[in-house]
Amino acid sequence: MRILLDKFSKSFGATKVIEDMDLNVGSGEMLALLGPSGCGKSTTLFAICGIHRPTSGRILFGNRDVTSLSSQERNVGVVFQSYALYPHMTVAENIGFPLTVRRMTAAEINKRVAEIAALVHIDNLLDRKPSQLSGGQQQRVALARALIRRPDVLLLDEPLANLDAKLRLEMRSEIRRLQKETGITAILVTHDQVEAMSMCDRIAIMKAGEIVQIATPSEMYNDPRTAFVAGFLGNPPISFLTGRAKQGAFALDDGGLKLPLAALSGIPDGTALTLGIRPEHFGIGGDVPVEGKVTFAETQGRENLYDVVLPDGSALRSIQPARSDVKPGDSVRWSLDSKAALVFGEDGRRL
Amino acid sequence: MIAPAAIMIFLFFLMPVGLTAIFAMTSMSTATGISGGVWQVTQGAVNRLEGDMPALAEGIAQPRFVVDEEGLAALEALKLKPGYVIELRAEHVGEVFPSRREAERVIKALKDRPSTREVKQISDLFNRSVLNTRFESREALVRSLEKLGFKLTPEERDKVATATYTGWVWTTDNFRMIGNSPDMAQIFLNTAFYVAVTLLLFNVSYALFLAVTTHYMPPTTASVFRAIWLLPRITPVVIYVLMWKWLTWDNGFLSLLMGQFGVPPKNYLLDNSYNAWFFVILINGFIGASMGMLVFSSAIKAIPETQFHASEVDGASRWQQIRYIILPQLRWPILFVTCYQTLSLLASFQEIHLSTRGGPGKATEVWSLAAFHTALNNYTGNLEYGLGAAMALVLVVVGLVLSLIYLRVFRYDTLISKPLIED
Ligand SMILES: Nc1ncnc2c1ncn2[C@@H]1O[C@H](COP(=O)(O)OP(=O)(O)OP(=O)(O)O)[C@@H](O)[C@H]1O
Ligand SMILES: [Mg+2]
Repeated sequence: MRILLDKFSKSFGATKVIEDMDLNVGSGEMLALLGPSGCGKSTTLFAICGIHRPTSGRILFGNRDVTSLSSQERNVGVVFQSYALYPHMTVAENIGFPLTVRRMTAAEINKRVAEIAALVHIDNLLDRKPSQLSGGQQQRVALARALIRRPDVLLLDEPLANLDAKLRLEMRSEIRRLQKETGITAILVTHDQVEAMSMCDRIAIMKAGEIVQIATPSEMYNDPRTAFVAGFLGNPPISFLTGRAKQGAFALDDGGLKLPLAALSGIPDGTALTLGIRPEHFGIGGDVPVEGKVTFAETQGRENLYDVVLPDGSALRSIQPARSDVKPGDSVRWSLDSKAALVFGEDGRRL
Repeated sequence: MIAPAAIMIFLFFLMPVGLTAIFAMTSMSTATGISGGVWQVTQGAVNRLEGDMPALAEGIAQPRFVVDEEGLAALEALKLKPGYVIELRAEHVGEVFPSRREAERVIKALKDRPSTREVKQISDLFNRSVLNTRFESREALVRSLEKLGFKLTPEERDKVATATYTGWVWTTDNFRMIGNSPDMAQIFLNTAFYVAVTLLLFNVSYALFLAVTTHYMPPTTASVFRAIWLLPRITPVVIYVLMWKWLTWDNGFLSLLMGQFGVPPKNYLLDNSYNAWFFVILINGFIGASMGMLVFSSAIKAIPETQFHASEVDGASRWQQIRYIILPQLRWPILFVTCYQTLSLLASFQEIHLSTRGGPGKATEVWSLAAFHTALNNYTGNLEYGLGAAMALVLVVVGLVLSLIYLRVFRYDTLISKPLIED
């Protein structure tokens, strides 16, 4: 079922959290809401599930305007950031609660609880109380509770934050598989861009209550609209150099680097610029050589990560297939891939 | 850290309870005093002896004048005319007169003609009555009885001593009395009714109702409501009860109001026992509801808001929220309030004392009020400390037993179970 936010605004008293947000999540689509802490991700979710009423604007599920409907009438499954499990109920009672309040028979509830518990691997914990579970187990209980009554819309507020790496990978594909199978429209709030990129059809990046860009993961990665978006996606993150325009090229202020870029034709000389270079675009096999000194080296198993400081003090990050001939303190002469370089104006917009 | 707590428990709980228990095992009252007593053949003692020893009872009840050597020796020491002694010894020794008048007739008839003053003086010397005479020791009482010619077996002596002792004694009669008296049974039933109804209707149910409804109100409205329900608690009880009296007096508000419909004025509070109970329970319930309301409100506030959000999203209606989310998490506060209020209702009597004084008749007399009346404040003026203490002790025991039952019913053990951490 499609979710549409139409000029949605939300403020708490005098604090404006969200202003005039438009968002369209297609039916059966899974969208990631990505953004720094406090940017309004949870607030948006709360409005979609009906806990907060929008200050203005409309919310539509399909073609149905649900703006003034209560949570009970919306059939939305939510995994809360704090899990919000009921401490006095056992795991089974927690998971079955949405069915209990629908007055289903105990037998039916037990059957469905067992099914969904097996799916999220907590079928051995059904008799425990939430206080007797680890954080990850609690999270899975919350997920099971959100899924059990087959909601039209699934909202996940950082559902995997507390899981260990292996379980997280497993749950990622599990949630994705489930979502695809059932065709639920889902919104996933996360801090983890890998999670966002691997699980979701599209990503919306938020900043201070606004959606800065909304695109598929690869579009977003390769074609970020602002420096903020470019900085937010990618791990290890992109590195930025500040310089000026000089005859259609990006130049560092000390003249140590000059990078001709097509995007800079017609930009007056002296304009302040920011150049973004992703780590995989600096190293061996580029076309513009850069000299610098390695200050940091880290091996990640298959790959190595280096920080290189240029003569003017700015730093570039490089990721390369594992090698053992470079150590911190070494001077190196590696090259940039100028075609992949991203250049931003002073306001952060991509040129 | 145990020592201070132990001292506090000892000083403020065990010692009062212990003292109460000690008093409860005595027959102390205004009549016996709280120090020792004397042996005195009172009319009461005579009545007590009548059943077992009718002859003795009848005998000691009579005044006795005996012409004996002891009296004659005393008369000699008075140095009156020697003829008195000689004649009495010769003619009358060993004679017993059942009344002063008969004795004095004989003395007056002596040849030496004693004056009226002397007759009185002499007859006093032969007065051997025991009725209303105080004996400082048991032996003195027995000795003088034997002198009067009562031959007593050791058991009879014990009986007489017990019957005539005016001080307090160790006894379990108080508890026998509580167990057997139909009055006490009635008071017990009154108390059970009063505590159960006030507790259920007001201290728990109504308090829950207030807490839950104010939880769903906007904050300011909720505060106003809570403040209103706190008023009975913070008003001094004398003034608070006075307001109820003003409401129910025969020239009070209710009478005035009903007067508009032609109903003659009457005292609604004491009109009949139903009314009396109605108002007693309202008076106490309105005070008691506020505490439960505060405890339950803060317990509801302590439930994280996301649980309410989650249950709404899960599709729970308000009723279901109350039933599945709020009430189960109030188990401990409800246990606490039930326990606490049971004890305070059992022990508190000032509201009833100030409003109905246990009336009409003894309709609203409850246990603590009865204990107060028995031991500290009654119309006859004989305050029975021992019996009152025994009643108080019964109250303590009932309170403890009820608390234990509550802990069981609410399954206290599951409330404090520790989480088991394992993976
Ligand atoms: N009830 C509220 N009253 C006032 N301000 C609020 C309220 N709830 C949220 N806010 C504010 O709204 C902003 C957005 O909050 P929100 O919880 O949506 O952030 P978030 O993006 O989910 O952050 P995080 O990633 O840390 O969870 C924050 O600045 C927060 O302080
Ligand atoms: Mg949040």
